[in-house]
Amino acid sequence: MSTDIIELKKDTEGKNKDKIYCTFCPSKMLNAGAARLINMDFALPYIHSKAEDKANQSETISAYWLIEDMYTFENIGVSHTVGNIKYLACADCERGPVGWHDLSTKKSYIASCRVKYE
Amino acid sequence: MAKTYDYLFKLLLIGDSGVGKTCVLFRFSEDAFNTTFISTIGIDFKIRTIELDGKKIKLQIWDTAGQERFRTITTAYYRGAMGIMLVYDVTNDKSFENIKNWIRNIEENASADVEKMLLGNKCELTDKRQVTKERGEQLAVEYGIKFMETSAKSSINVEEAFYTLARDIKAKMEKKLEASNPPKGGGHQLKASEPQRKPPSWLARCTIL
Repeated sequence: MSTDIIELKKDTEGKNKDKIYCTFCPSKMLNAGAARLINMDFALPYIHSKAEDKANQSETISAYWLIEDMYTFENIGVSHTVGNIKYLACADCERGPVGWHDLSTKKSYIASCRVKYE
Repeated sequence: MAKTYDYLFKLLLIGDSGVGKTCVLFRFSEDAFNTTFISTIGIDFKIRTIELDGKKIKLQIWDTAGQERFRTITTAYYRGAMGIMLVYDVTNDKSFENIKNWIRNIEENASADVEKMLLGNKCELTDKRQVTKERGEQLAVEYGIKFMETSAKSSINVEEAFYTLARDIKAKMEKKLEASNPPKGGGHQLKASEPQRKPPSWLARCTIL
């Protein structure tokens, strides 16, 4: 999803206008207004790992929804710790990562291009 | 930012390996999609949101993630737990017999007032059943806990089970709160913000307060 399109997903305060869902199943992740759009480069591993292509297993995503308190999520799956982060996945079908949680700041980030808006 | 919920409950899923604890955590797909990046790392816990009596409740649900294979669930895992789902497989007698051992483990490690519930999972597999519903009910009565048969695969009673456990924890918490600050003046207080009562739903069936 291009940055221009994602800009349309925020309200005047920069919060998400629509509810945020998993792209693969009907699981709701966030209510409208629960997150704030930020620009930040972070390399997120692909949902389907390409075992044959070890060098290219993640993509840099630069538009993320910032969630200050993890308990703002309606439904979310949280992975085991990897380094200083935990990856976020759908709570129902477990597909992911759709974002990550920073253990030092306690903030969570959802990749704007890996979720659905309704 | 203002808190977006009223209560936060930490719940644990406990039982032998293979009883379907992990599946109890799914709703919209019968199996985890197992070729994704996430499945290789594994899920630590999930956050789910439910609503009870107009209150928004966040459930933080932890799975033992294979620790149970060594029958040594540590005290750390139990810390702060307010509710425990004890899960067995109705097609596996041993998993049912082991519930007693799990209860002993809980008594030794968890806080004494943790709310417990017994779940007989895989109840859709009628041909392979080894544990009757009556035996499950009897065991639950023996320990003074609630019981339900569930099918994570056919989505039978799974959500109801979580609602029931959450409702019991909430009732217990409210009772404690009331005991520590009794309402002044004695009479029942009406709050202006009292939420409108919703018509009874299918969930009302599992309300036992």
